Amino acid sequence: MNNGIRNPVAKTIFYLILIGWSILVLYPLLWTLLDSLKDNEQFFRHLPWALPEAPLLWSNFSYVWSRYHFDTYFVNSIIVTLGSTLLGLLLAATTAYVLARYKFRGSNALYLLYIASMMVPFVLALIPLFFLMNSLNLVNSKTGLILVYTSSVLAFGIFVLVGFFKSLPKELEEAAIVDGASHYGTFFRIMLPLSQPGLITVGIVNVLNIWNEYIVGTILINDPSQYTLPVEIGVMQAEMQYRTEWGPLFAALFITIVPVLLLYIIFQRKIASGITAGAVK
Amino acid sequence: MNTGSAKWQRTLFIASFIVPTLAFFSLFTIYPVAKGLYYSLFDWSGMSQDKEFIGLDNFKALFQDPIVWRAIGNDYFLVLGKIIGIMLLATFFAVSLTRFNFKLAGFMRSIFFIPNVISVVVIGVLWSFIYNPQIGFLNAFLSLFTEDKVTIAWLGFMNHTIWMLLPPAIWAGIGFYMILLIAAIQNIPASYFEAAELEGAGQWKQFRSITLPLIWEQMKVSILNIMMTTLNGSFVIVWIMTEGGPDNSTQVMGSYLYQMAFRQYHFGFAAAIGVLILVLSLITTVVLQRLLRHETVELS
Repeated sequence: MNNGIRNPVAKTIFYLILIGWSILVLYPLLWTLLDSLKDNEQFFRHLPWALPEAPLLWSNFSYVWSRYHFDTYFVNSIIVTLGSTLLGLLLAATTAYVLARYKFRGSNALYLLYIASMMVPFVLALIPLFFLMNSLNLVNSKTGLILVYTSSVLAFGIFVLVGFFKSLPKELEEAAIVDGASHYGTFFRIMLPLSQPGLITVGIVNVLNIWNEYIVGTILINDPSQYTLPVEIGVMQAEMQYRTEWGPLFAALFITIVPVLLLYIIFQRKIASGITAGAVK
Repeated sequence: MNTGSAKWQRTLFIASFIVPTLAFFSLFTIYPVAKGLYYSLFDWSGMSQDKEFIGLDNFKALFQDPIVWRAIGNDYFLVLGKIIGIMLLATFFAVSLTRFNFKLAGFMRSIFFIPNVISVVVIGVLWSFIYNPQIGFLNAFLSLFTEDKVTIAWLGFMNHTIWMLLPPAIWAGIGFYMILLIAAIQNIPASYFEAAELEGAGQWKQFRSITLPLIWEQMKVSILNIMMTTLNGSFVIVWIMTEGGPDNSTQVMGSYLYQMAFRQYHFGFAAAIGVLILVLSLITTVVLQRLLRHETVELS
Protein backbone atom coordinates (compact mmCIF):
# COMPACT_ATOMS: atom_id res chain seq x y z
CA MET A 1 0.00 0.00 0.00
CA ASN A 2 1.09 3.51 -0.73
CA ASN A 3 2.45 5.32 2.32
CA GLY A 4 1.96 8.84 1.08
CA ILE A 5 4.51 11.41 2.10
CA ARG A 6 6.59 10.62 5.16
CA ASN A 7 8.23 13.96 5.77
CA PRO A 8 5.76 15.97 7.92
CA VAL A 9 7.06 19.36 6.71
CA ALA A 10 6.62 18.41 3.07
CA LYS A 11 3.22 17.01 3.85
CA THR A 12 2.13 20.27 5.48
CA ILE A 13 3.36 22.33 2.53
CA PHE A 14 1.49 20.11 0.06
CA TYR A 15 -1.63 20.39 2.15
CA LEU A 16 -1.39 24.15 2.31
CA ILE A 17 -1.04 24.43 -1.45
CA LEU A 18 -4.06 22.20 -2.02
CA ILE A 19 -6.17 24.08 0.50
CA GLY A 20 -4.99 27.37 -1.00
CA TRP A 21 -6.16 26.31 -4.44
CA SER A 22 -9.48 25.08 -3.04
CA ILE A 23 -10.03 28.55 -1.63
CA LEU A 24 -9.02 30.17 -4.92
CA VAL A 25 -11.67 28.10 -6.68
CA LEU A 26 -14.47 28.27 -4.13
CA TYR A 27 -14.10 31.81 -2.92
CA PRO A 28 -15.10 33.54 -6.18
CA LEU A 29 -18.36 31.59 -6.09
CA LEU A 30 -19.07 32.57 -2.51
CA TRP A 31 -18.15 36.16 -3.21
CA THR A 32 -20.43 36.26 -6.26
CA LEU A 33 -23.29 35.40 -3.94
CA LEU A 34 -22.20 37.84 -1.23
CA ASP A 35 -21.72 40.72 -3.65
CA SER A 36 -25.07 40.09 -5.26
CA LEU A 37 -26.60 41.19 -1.95
CA LYS A 38 -24.89 44.60 -1.77
CA ASP A 39 -25.89 48.01 -3.05
CA ASN A 40 -23.54 50.20 -5.10
CA GLU A 41 -22.49 52.27 -2.13
CA GLN A 42 -21.15 49.25 -0.26
CA PHE A 43 -18.93 48.43 -3.22
CA PHE A 44 -17.22 51.80 -3.03
CA ARG A 45 -17.20 52.33 0.73
CA HIS A 46 -16.07 48.90 1.91
CA LEU A 47 -13.37 46.43 1.04
CA PRO A 48 -14.29 43.92 -1.65
CA TRP A 49 -14.25 41.04 0.81
CA ALA A 50 -16.49 42.79 3.35
CA LEU A 51 -19.72 40.98 4.11
CA PRO A 52 -22.90 42.59 2.77
CA GLU A 53 -24.68 44.85 5.25
CA ALA A 54 -28.10 44.07 6.64
CA PRO A 55 -30.69 44.21 5.23
CA LEU A 56 -29.42 41.84 2.55
CA LEU A 57 -30.50 43.07 -0.85
CA TRP A 58 -32.26 39.98 -2.17
CA SER A 59 -34.15 42.49 -4.26
CA ASN A 60 -31.15 42.54 -6.62
CA PHE A 61 -32.31 39.15 -7.81
CA SER A 62 -35.88 40.18 -8.47
CA TYR A 63 -34.48 43.35 -10.05
CA VAL A 64 -32.39 41.52 -12.68
CA TRP A 65 -35.14 38.93 -13.06
CA SER A 66 -37.74 41.50 -14.06
CA ARG A 67 -35.96 44.76 -14.96
CA TYR A 68 -33.13 43.10 -16.88
CA HIS A 69 -35.55 40.46 -18.22
CA PHE A 70 -33.62 37.52 -16.89
CA ASP A 71 -36.90 35.63 -16.81
CA THR A 72 -36.89 35.73 -20.61
CA TYR A 73 -33.17 34.94 -20.98
CA PHE A 74 -33.40 32.06 -18.55
CA VAL A 75 -36.25 30.50 -20.49
CA ASN A 76 -34.43 31.17 -23.80
CA SER A 77 -31.33 29.45 -22.47
CA ILE A 78 -33.35 26.44 -21.34
CA ILE A 79 -35.16 26.11 -24.68
CA VAL A 80 -31.99 26.46 -26.73
CA THR A 81 -29.96 24.13 -24.50
CA LEU A 82 -32.56 21.37 -24.31
CA GLY A 83 -33.53 21.68 -27.97
CA SER A 84 -30.01 21.36 -29.31
CA THR A 85 -28.98 18.70 -26.80
CA LEU A 86 -31.89 16.41 -27.67
CA LEU A 87 -31.65 16.95 -31.43
CA GLY A 88 -27.88 16.52 -31.22
CA LEU A 89 -28.24 13.25 -29.31
CA LEU A 90 -30.68 11.81 -31.83
CA LEU A 91 -28.54 12.74 -34.84
CA ALA A 92 -25.30 11.62 -33.20
CA ALA A 93 -26.66 8.34 -31.79
CA THR A 94 -28.15 7.17 -35.10
CA THR A 95 -24.97 7.82 -37.08
CA ALA A 96 -22.75 6.48 -34.29
CA TYR A 97 -24.71 3.23 -34.17
CA VAL A 98 -24.40 2.62 -37.89
CA LEU A 99 -20.70 3.53 -37.86
CA ALA A 100 -20.07 1.19 -34.95
CA ARG A 101 -22.03 -1.82 -36.22
CA TYR A 102 -22.37 -1.72 -40.00
CA LYS A 103 -19.56 -1.94 -42.53
CA PHE A 104 -20.29 -0.12 -45.76
CA ARG A 105 -18.30 1.72 -48.38
CA GLY A 106 -17.10 5.04 -47.01
CA SER A 107 -17.92 4.28 -43.38
CA ASN A 108 -14.34 4.81 -42.28
CA ALA A 109 -14.03 8.02 -44.25
CA LEU A 110 -17.23 9.31 -42.71
CA TYR A 111 -15.99 8.58 -39.22
CA LEU A 112 -12.70 10.31 -39.96
CA LEU A 113 -14.56 13.34 -41.35
CA TYR A 114 -16.37 13.86 -38.05
CA ILE A 115 -13.23 13.28 -35.98
CA ALA A 116 -11.09 15.57 -38.15
CA SER A 117 -13.66 18.34 -37.89
CA MET A 118 -12.89 18.57 -34.17
CA MET A 119 -9.43 19.85 -35.13
CA VAL A 120 -10.71 22.73 -37.26
CA PRO A 121 -10.98 26.05 -35.45
CA PHE A 122 -14.63 27.05 -35.28
CA VAL A 123 -13.81 30.77 -35.62
CA LEU A 124 -13.14 30.11 -39.27
CA ALA A 125 -16.85 29.29 -39.71
CA LEU A 126 -18.21 32.27 -37.78
CA ILE A 127 -18.47 34.75 -40.64
CA PRO A 128 -20.03 32.41 -43.23
CA LEU A 129 -22.34 31.09 -40.53
CA PHE A 130 -23.67 34.56 -39.91
CA PHE A 131 -24.43 35.10 -43.61
CA LEU A 132 -25.86 31.61 -44.01
CA MET A 133 -28.25 32.13 -41.12
CA ASN A 134 -29.09 35.57 -42.42
CA SER A 135 -30.08 34.19 -45.82
CA LEU A 136 -32.15 31.46 -44.16
CA ASN A 137 -33.91 34.10 -42.06
CA LEU A 138 -32.64 32.41 -38.93
CA VAL A 139 -30.78 35.32 -37.37
CA ASN A 140 -32.33 36.50 -34.10
CA SER A 141 -34.14 33.23 -33.69
CA LYS A 142 -33.85 30.50 -31.12
CA THR A 143 -34.41 27.94 -33.88
CA GLY A 144 -31.34 29.22 -35.70
CA LEU A 145 -29.28 28.98 -32.55
CA ILE A 146 -30.54 25.44 -31.91
CA LEU A 147 -29.56 24.34 -35.43
CA VAL A 148 -26.03 25.73 -35.14
CA TYR A 149 -25.45 24.37 -31.63
CA THR A 150 -26.77 20.97 -32.66
CA SER A 151 -24.31 20.82 -35.51
CA SER A 152 -21.47 21.93 -33.26
CA VAL A 153 -21.97 19.04 -30.81
CA LEU A 154 -22.34 16.25 -33.41
CA ALA A 155 -18.67 15.33 -33.80
CA PHE A 156 -18.09 14.96 -30.08
CA GLY A 157 -21.27 12.91 -29.66
CA ILE A 158 -20.44 10.59 -32.56
CA PHE A 159 -16.91 10.11 -31.29
CA VAL A 160 -17.99 9.09 -27.79
CA LEU A 161 -21.04 7.06 -28.84
CA VAL A 162 -19.23 5.03 -31.52
CA GLY A 163 -16.88 3.91 -28.76
CA PHE A 164 -19.82 3.19 -26.53
CA PHE A 165 -21.79 1.13 -29.05
CA LYS A 166 -18.66 -0.85 -29.90
CA SER A 167 -18.29 -1.77 -26.22
CA LEU A 168 -21.77 -3.34 -26.10
CA PRO A 169 -21.94 -7.13 -26.64
CA LYS A 170 -23.00 -8.19 -30.13
CA GLU A 171 -25.00 -11.19 -28.91
CA LEU A 172 -27.95 -9.00 -27.96
CA GLU A 173 -28.45 -7.77 -31.49
CA GLU A 174 -27.92 -11.20 -32.95
CA ALA A 175 -30.60 -12.57 -30.65
CA ALA A 176 -32.94 -9.76 -31.64
CA ILE A 177 -32.41 -10.46 -35.34
CA VAL A 178 -33.04 -14.18 -34.78
CA ASP A 179 -36.29 -13.15 -33.09
CA GLY A 180 -37.19 -11.31 -36.28
CA ALA A 181 -36.64 -7.72 -35.16
CA SER A 182 -36.00 -5.16 -37.89
CA HIS A 183 -32.91 -2.93 -38.00
CA TYR A 184 -34.98 -0.11 -36.56
CA GLY A 185 -36.54 -2.31 -33.88
CA THR A 186 -33.10 -3.53 -32.81
CA PHE A 187 -31.82 0.01 -32.54
CA PHE A 188 -34.74 1.71 -30.82
CA ARG A 189 -35.87 -1.12 -28.54
CA ILE A 190 -32.56 -2.73 -27.61
CA MET A 191 -29.46 -0.69 -28.40
CA LEU A 192 -30.76 2.76 -27.50
CA PRO A 193 -31.95 1.76 -24.00
CA LEU A 194 -28.65 -0.07 -23.43
CA SER A 195 -26.64 2.96 -24.42
CA GLN A 196 -28.34 5.17 -21.86
CA PRO A 197 -25.16 5.74 -19.78
CA GLY A 198 -23.31 6.93 -22.88
CA LEU A 199 -26.20 9.11 -23.97
CA ILE A 200 -26.40 10.72 -20.55
CA THR A 201 -22.67 11.44 -20.51
CA VAL A 202 -22.75 13.07 -23.94
CA GLY A 203 -25.99 14.87 -23.13
CA ILE A 204 -24.70 16.42 -19.91
CA VAL A 205 -21.46 17.59 -21.49
CA ASN A 206 -23.44 19.15 -24.33
CA VAL A 207 -25.84 20.84 -21.93
CA LEU A 208 -22.88 22.46 -20.14
CA ASN A 209 -21.22 23.60 -23.35
CA ILE A 210 -24.37 24.99 -24.90
CA TRP A 211 -25.58 26.67 -21.72
CA ASN A 212 -22.23 28.44 -21.46
CA GLU A 213 -21.77 29.29 -25.14
CA TYR A 214 -21.19 32.96 -25.82
CA ILE A 215 -19.65 33.84 -29.17
CA VAL A 216 -22.10 32.21 -31.59
CA GLY A 217 -24.97 33.56 -29.52
CA THR A 218 -23.54 37.06 -29.69
CA ILE A 219 -23.10 36.93 -33.44
CA LEU A 220 -26.47 35.41 -34.31
CA ILE A 221 -28.66 37.25 -31.82
CA ASN A 222 -29.11 41.03 -31.69
CA ASP A 223 -32.70 41.14 -30.61
CA PRO A 224 -32.77 41.33 -26.77
CA SER A 225 -35.93 39.23 -26.56
CA GLN A 226 -33.95 36.26 -27.95
CA TYR A 227 -30.79 36.60 -25.81
CA THR A 228 -29.45 33.65 -23.90
CA LEU A 229 -27.89 34.17 -20.45
CA PRO A 230 -24.20 34.38 -21.50
CA VAL A 231 -25.06 36.82 -24.29
CA GLU A 232 -26.83 39.08 -21.81
CA ILE A 233 -23.93 38.82 -19.33
CA GLY A 234 -21.61 40.07 -22.07
CA VAL A 235 -23.96 42.95 -22.82
CA MET A 236 -24.32 43.82 -19.13
CA GLN A 237 -20.54 43.79 -18.67
CA ALA A 238 -20.15 46.25 -21.54
CA GLU A 239 -22.90 48.49 -20.11
CA MET A 240 -21.19 48.63 -16.71
CA GLN A 241 -18.77 51.14 -18.19
CA TYR A 242 -21.38 53.86 -18.04
CA ARG A 243 -24.05 52.41 -15.78
CA THR A 244 -22.71 50.81 -12.63
CA GLU A 245 -25.02 48.35 -10.99
CA TRP A 246 -22.65 45.96 -9.36
CA GLY A 247 -25.11 44.14 -7.12
CA PRO A 248 -27.44 43.22 -10.00
CA LEU A 249 -24.44 42.21 -12.15
CA PHE A 250 -23.36 39.70 -9.51
CA ALA A 251 -26.92 38.49 -9.09
CA ALA A 252 -26.96 37.92 -12.85
CA LEU A 253 -23.71 35.95 -12.69
CA PHE A 254 -25.08 33.87 -9.86
CA ILE A 255 -28.29 33.07 -11.74
CA THR A 256 -26.17 31.94 -14.70
CA ILE A 257 -23.84 29.76 -12.62
CA VAL A 258 -26.35 28.00 -10.36
CA PRO A 259 -27.96 25.65 -12.92
CA VAL A 260 -24.63 24.28 -14.20
CA LEU A 261 -23.32 24.03 -10.66
CA LEU A 262 -26.32 21.94 -9.61
CA LEU A 263 -25.91 19.79 -12.71
CA TYR A 264 -22.25 19.32 -11.84
CA ILE A 265 -22.99 18.31 -8.28
CA ILE A 266 -25.55 15.73 -9.42
CA PHE A 267 -23.66 14.31 -12.41
CA GLN A 268 -20.08 14.87 -11.29
CA ARG A 269 -18.64 11.55 -12.42
CA LYS A 270 -20.44 11.55 -15.75
CA ILE A 271 -19.20 15.03 -16.52
CA ALA A 272 -15.59 14.29 -15.66
CA SER A 273 -15.54 11.09 -17.72
CA GLY A 274 -17.45 12.62 -20.63
CA ILE A 275 -15.37 15.74 -20.97
CA THR A 276 -12.12 13.85 -20.81
CA ALA A 277 -13.38 11.25 -23.30
CA GLY A 278 -13.45 13.91 -25.99
CA ALA A 279 -9.87 14.96 -25.39
CA VAL A 280 -8.24 11.57 -25.90
CA LYS A 281 -8.36 11.56 -29.65
CA MET B 1 -35.18 -12.39 -54.07
CA ASN B 2 -35.38 -12.59 -50.33
CA THR B 3 -31.72 -11.76 -49.78
CA GLY B 4 -32.04 -8.92 -52.25
CA SER B 5 -34.78 -7.27 -50.26
CA ALA B 6 -32.90 -7.82 -47.00
CA LYS B 7 -29.94 -6.08 -48.52
CA TRP B 8 -32.13 -3.26 -49.72
CA GLN B 9 -33.60 -2.88 -46.24
CA ARG B 10 -30.14 -2.77 -44.76
CA THR B 11 -29.08 -0.07 -47.22
CA LEU B 12 -32.20 1.92 -46.52
CA PHE B 13 -31.62 1.66 -42.79
CA ILE B 14 -28.01 2.78 -43.05
CA ALA B 15 -28.95 5.70 -45.27
CA SER B 16 -31.74 6.86 -42.98
CA PHE B 17 -29.29 6.93 -40.05
CA ILE B 18 -26.41 8.55 -41.92
CA VAL B 19 -27.95 11.07 -44.28
CA PRO B 20 -29.91 13.39 -41.94
CA THR B 21 -26.90 13.81 -39.64
CA LEU B 22 -24.52 14.33 -42.52
CA ALA B 23 -26.85 16.80 -44.25
CA PHE B 24 -27.14 18.76 -41.03
CA PHE B 25 -23.43 18.69 -40.42
CA SER B 26 -22.65 19.65 -44.01
CA LEU B 27 -24.92 22.66 -43.95
CA PHE B 28 -24.03 24.12 -40.56
CA THR B 29 -20.40 23.08 -40.16
CA ILE B 30 -18.65 21.92 -43.34
CA TYR B 31 -20.19 24.51 -45.62
CA PRO B 32 -19.34 27.48 -43.35
CA VAL B 33 -15.76 26.27 -42.90
CA ALA B 34 -15.30 25.84 -46.65
CA LYS B 35 -16.94 29.20 -47.30
CA GLY B 36 -14.57 30.77 -44.76
CA LEU B 37 -11.63 29.66 -46.87
CA TYR B 38 -13.38 31.02 -49.96
CA TYR B 39 -14.24 34.43 -48.47
CA SER B 40 -10.61 35.00 -47.57
CA LEU B 41 -9.92 35.58 -51.28
CA PHE B 42 -12.34 38.49 -51.56
CA ASP B 43 -12.53 42.14 -50.69
CA TRP B 44 -15.93 42.32 -49.13
CA SER B 45 -17.69 44.60 -46.69
CA GLY B 46 -20.51 42.13 -46.17
CA MET B 47 -23.17 44.75 -46.63
CA SER B 48 -23.47 44.59 -50.38
CA GLN B 49 -23.45 41.70 -52.78
CA ASP B 50 -20.47 43.00 -54.71
CA LYS B 51 -17.55 40.98 -53.54
CA GLU B 52 -14.38 41.59 -55.43
CA PHE B 53 -12.01 38.69 -56.02
CA ILE B 54 -8.56 39.82 -54.98
CA GLY B 55 -6.70 36.51 -54.75
CA LEU B 56 -4.16 36.48 -51.97
CA ASP B 57 -4.21 40.24 -51.36
CA ASN B 58 -5.90 39.79 -47.98
CA PHE B 59 -3.01 37.62 -46.90
CA LYS B 60 -0.51 40.20 -48.12
CA ALA B 61 -2.37 42.85 -46.13
CA LEU B 62 -2.41 40.49 -43.18
CA PHE B 63 1.35 40.26 -43.00
CA GLN B 64 1.77 44.00 -43.42
CA ASP B 65 -0.56 44.72 -40.52
CA PRO B 66 1.46 45.15 -37.31
CA ILE B 67 -1.61 44.29 -35.22
CA VAL B 68 -1.71 40.82 -36.80
CA TRP B 69 1.89 40.22 -35.76
CA ARG B 70 1.13 41.41 -32.27
CA ALA B 71 -1.94 39.16 -32.15
CA ILE B 72 0.13 36.15 -33.21
CA GLY B 73 2.68 37.03 -30.53
CA ASN B 74 -0.04 37.31 -27.90
CA ASP B 75 -1.59 34.02 -28.97
CA TYR B 76 1.68 32.18 -28.62
CA PHE B 77 2.40 33.95 -25.36
CA LEU B 78 -0.90 32.58 -24.03
CA VAL B 79 -0.18 29.13 -25.48
CA LEU B 80 3.22 28.99 -23.81
CA GLY B 81 2.05 30.51 -20.53
CA LYS B 82 -0.95 28.22 -20.32
CA ILE B 83 1.02 25.10 -21.18
CA ILE B 84 3.59 25.85 -18.47
CA GLY B 85 1.12 27.05 -15.84
CA ILE B 86 -1.57 24.44 -16.42
CA MET B 87 0.73 21.46 -16.87
CA LEU B 88 2.78 22.23 -13.75
CA LEU B 89 -0.24 22.78 -11.53
CA ALA B 90 -2.43 20.07 -13.04
CA THR B 91 0.33 17.48 -12.73
CA PHE B 92 1.08 18.58 -9.19
CA PHE B 93 -2.60 18.35 -8.21
CA ALA B 94 -3.14 15.05 -10.01
CA VAL B 95 -0.18 13.41 -8.27
CA SER B 96 -1.02 14.92 -4.87
CA LEU B 97 -4.62 13.82 -5.03
CA THR B 98 -3.89 10.24 -6.08
CA ARG B 99 -0.53 9.19 -4.65
CA PHE B 100 -0.30 10.89 -1.27
CA ASN B 101 -3.23 9.45 0.71
CA PHE B 102 -4.54 12.87 1.62
CA LYS B 103 -7.82 13.00 3.38
CA LEU B 104 -10.20 15.24 1.40
CA ALA B 105 -8.52 14.17 -1.86
CA GLY B 106 -11.84 13.13 -3.42
CA PHE B 107 -13.50 16.31 -2.27
CA MET B 108 -10.72 18.50 -3.61
CA ARG B 109 -10.80 16.69 -6.95
CA SER B 110 -14.46 17.69 -7.29
CA ILE B 111 -13.78 21.26 -6.22
CA PHE B 112 -10.87 21.81 -8.59
CA PHE B 113 -12.99 20.94 -11.60
CA ILE B 114 -15.65 23.58 -10.89
CA PRO B 115 -14.14 26.40 -13.02
CA ASN B 116 -14.50 24.12 -16.05
CA VAL B 117 -18.27 24.06 -15.83
CA ILE B 118 -18.60 27.84 -15.61
CA SER B 119 -19.06 29.96 -18.73
CA VAL B 120 -16.00 31.82 -19.97
CA VAL B 121 -18.10 34.99 -20.00
CA VAL B 122 -18.80 34.66 -16.30
CA ILE B 123 -15.12 33.96 -15.61
CA GLY B 124 -14.14 37.01 -17.63
CA VAL B 125 -16.53 39.25 -15.70
CA LEU B 126 -15.37 37.88 -12.33
CA TRP B 127 -11.72 38.47 -13.16
CA SER B 128 -12.42 41.94 -14.54
CA PHE B 129 -13.80 42.67 -11.12
CA ILE B 130 -10.68 41.31 -9.42
CA TYR B 131 -8.62 43.69 -11.57
CA ASN B 132 -11.00 46.66 -11.22
CA PRO B 133 -8.93 49.77 -10.37
CA GLN B 134 -11.38 51.33 -7.87
CA ILE B 135 -13.25 48.49 -6.21
CA GLY B 136 -11.27 45.42 -7.26
CA PHE B 137 -9.82 42.71 -5.06
CA LEU B 138 -6.23 43.00 -6.17
CA ASN B 139 -5.86 46.72 -5.42
CA ALA B 140 -7.71 46.39 -2.13
CA PHE B 141 -5.38 43.59 -1.13
CA LEU B 142 -2.26 45.51 -2.11
CA SER B 143 -3.57 48.57 -0.27
CA LEU B 144 -3.32 46.61 2.98
CA PHE B 145 0.45 46.93 2.70
CA THR B 146 0.75 50.53 1.50
CA GLU B 147 -0.08 53.91 2.97
CA ASP B 148 -1.90 55.24 -0.04
CA LYS B 149 -4.70 53.44 -1.70
CA VAL B 150 -3.45 51.45 -4.68
CA THR B 151 -5.30 52.32 -7.89
CA ILE B 152 -3.50 50.40 -10.59
CA ALA B 153 -5.50 49.84 -13.77
CA TRP B 154 -4.43 46.23 -14.24
CA LEU B 155 -6.05 45.90 -17.64
CA GLY B 156 -4.87 49.30 -18.87
CA PHE B 157 -1.10 48.98 -19.30
CA MET B 158 0.16 49.93 -22.73
CA ASN B 159 2.40 46.88 -22.72
CA HIS B 160 2.23 43.51 -21.04
CA THR B 161 -1.49 43.70 -20.23
CA ILE B 162 -1.66 40.28 -21.88
CA TRP B 163 0.07 38.95 -18.75
CA MET B 164 -3.05 39.81 -16.79
CA LEU B 165 -5.13 37.46 -18.95
CA LEU B 166 -2.94 34.49 -18.11
CA PRO B 167 -4.15 33.90 -14.52
CA PRO B 168 -7.86 33.66 -15.45
CA ALA B 169 -7.01 31.37 -18.37
CA ILE B 170 -4.93 29.07 -16.18
CA TRP B 171 -7.46 29.19 -13.33
CA ALA B 172 -10.21 28.17 -15.71
CA GLY B 173 -8.27 25.40 -17.43
CA ILE B 174 -6.58 23.36 -14.72
CA GLY B 175 -9.45 21.12 -13.56
CA PHE B 176 -9.96 19.50 -16.94
CA TYR B 177 -6.32 18.50 -17.41
CA MET B 178 -6.06 17.42 -13.79
CA ILE B 179 -8.91 14.95 -14.32
CA LEU B 180 -7.25 13.69 -17.49
CA LEU B 181 -3.97 13.08 -15.65
CA ILE B 182 -5.68 11.55 -12.63
CA ALA B 183 -7.30 8.98 -14.92
CA ALA B 184 -3.87 8.22 -16.39
CA ILE B 185 -2.26 7.81 -12.97
CA GLN B 186 -5.03 5.51 -11.80
CA ASN B 187 -4.34 3.27 -14.79
CA ILE B 188 -0.81 2.57 -13.56
CA PRO B 189 -0.74 -0.85 -11.84
CA ALA B 190 -0.31 -0.42 -8.08
CA SER B 191 2.32 -3.15 -8.08
CA TYR B 192 4.80 -0.81 -9.81
CA PHE B 193 4.64 1.60 -6.93
CA GLU B 194 4.71 -1.18 -4.34
CA ALA B 195 7.87 -2.62 -5.85
CA ALA B 196 9.50 0.81 -5.86
CA GLU B 197 8.40 1.33 -2.27
CA LEU B 198 10.01 -1.95 -1.21
CA GLU B 199 13.25 -0.88 -2.79
CA GLY B 200 13.08 2.30 -0.75
CA ALA B 201 12.27 4.74 -3.54
CA GLY B 202 10.82 7.99 -2.19
CA GLN B 203 7.85 9.83 -3.67
CA TRP B 204 10.01 12.02 -5.88
CA LYS B 205 11.89 9.01 -7.27
CA GLN B 206 8.60 7.22 -7.87
CA PHE B 207 7.23 10.24 -9.67
CA ARG B 208 10.30 10.58 -11.88
CA SER B 209 10.74 6.95 -12.79
CA ILE B 210 7.18 5.55 -12.74
CA THR B 211 4.45 8.18 -12.89
CA LEU B 212 5.98 10.64 -15.33
CA PRO B 213 6.99 8.16 -18.06
CA LEU B 214 3.68 6.35 -17.80
CA ILE B 215 1.47 9.45 -18.01
CA TRP B 216 3.61 11.12 -20.68
CA GLU B 217 1.15 10.11 -23.40
CA GLN B 218 -1.68 11.96 -21.61
CA MET B 219 0.56 14.94 -20.93
CA LYS B 220 1.25 15.11 -24.64
CA VAL B 221 -2.46 15.02 -25.42
CA SER B 222 -3.00 17.74 -22.81
CA ILE B 223 -0.30 19.99 -24.22
CA LEU B 224 -1.68 19.66 -27.75
CA ASN B 225 -5.18 20.26 -26.48
CA ILE B 226 -4.15 23.41 -24.58
CA MET B 227 -2.44 24.71 -27.71
CA MET B 228 -5.46 24.08 -29.92
CA THR B 229 -8.11 25.40 -27.55
CA THR B 230 -6.01 28.49 -26.91
CA LEU B 231 -5.49 29.37 -30.57
CA ASN B 232 -9.13 28.63 -31.36
CA GLY B 233 -10.94 29.92 -28.32
CA SER B 234 -8.84 32.16 -26.07
CA PHE B 235 -10.26 35.23 -27.73
CA VAL B 236 -13.55 35.00 -25.81
CA ILE B 237 -11.90 35.82 -22.51
CA VAL B 238 -9.82 38.52 -24.23
CA TRP B 239 -12.93 40.00 -25.75
CA ILE B 240 -14.81 40.07 -22.46
CA MET B 241 -11.97 41.49 -20.40
CA THR B 242 -10.20 43.96 -22.69
CA GLU B 243 -11.80 43.85 -26.16
CA GLY B 244 -8.23 43.58 -27.42
CA GLY B 245 -7.28 46.92 -25.93
CA PRO B 246 -5.78 49.17 -24.78
CA ASP B 247 -4.75 50.21 -28.27
CA ASN B 248 -4.85 46.64 -29.62
CA SER B 249 -2.11 45.55 -27.24
CA THR B 250 -3.99 42.45 -26.02
CA GLN B 251 -5.46 41.53 -29.38
CA VAL B 252 -5.26 37.84 -30.24
CA MET B 253 -6.05 36.44 -33.68
CA GLY B 254 -9.61 35.41 -32.76
CA SER B 255 -10.51 38.75 -31.20
CA TYR B 256 -9.02 40.63 -34.14
CA LEU B 257 -11.07 38.45 -36.50
CA TYR B 258 -14.19 39.27 -34.53
CA GLN B 259 -13.42 42.97 -34.48
CA MET B 260 -12.56 43.13 -38.18
CA ALA B 261 -15.68 41.21 -39.17
CA PHE B 262 -18.42 42.36 -36.84
CA ARG B 263 -17.21 45.82 -35.82
CA GLN B 264 -15.41 47.06 -38.93
CA TYR B 265 -17.07 44.90 -41.60
CA HIS B 266 -13.87 43.83 -43.35
CA PHE B 267 -15.23 40.34 -43.85
CA GLY B 268 -12.68 39.19 -46.42
CA PHE B 269 -9.76 40.31 -44.28
CA ALA B 270 -11.32 38.72 -41.20
CA ALA B 271 -11.84 35.44 -43.06
CA ALA B 272 -8.14 35.52 -43.93
CA ILE B 273 -7.36 35.75 -40.21
CA GLY B 274 -9.50 32.63 -39.76
CA VAL B 275 -7.44 30.81 -42.36
CA LEU B 276 -4.29 32.00 -40.60
CA ILE B 277 -5.55 30.50 -37.32
CA LEU B 278 -6.24 27.20 -39.07
CA VAL B 279 -2.83 27.07 -40.72
CA LEU B 280 -0.94 28.06 -37.56
CA SER B 281 -2.77 25.54 -35.40
CA LEU B 282 -2.02 22.75 -37.90
CA ILE B 283 1.65 23.73 -38.14
CA THR B 284 1.95 24.01 -34.37
CA THR B 285 0.33 20.59 -33.92
CA VAL B 286 2.90 19.00 -36.21
CA VAL B 287 5.81 20.84 -34.59
CA LEU B 288 4.70 20.03 -31.05
CA GLN B 289 4.13 16.41 -31.93
CA ARG B 290 7.69 16.14 -33.22
CA LEU B 291 9.16 17.91 -30.20
CA LEU B 292 7.20 15.83 -27.72
CA ARG B 293 7.91 12.55 -29.49
CA HIS B 294 11.58 13.29 -29.15
CA GLU B 295 11.08 13.74 -25.45
CA THR B 296 9.47 10.30 -25.07
CA VAL B 297 12.50 8.60 -26.54
CA GLU B 298 14.76 10.31 -24.03
CA LEU B 299 12.61 9.24 -21.12
CA SER B 300 12.22 5.59 -21.88
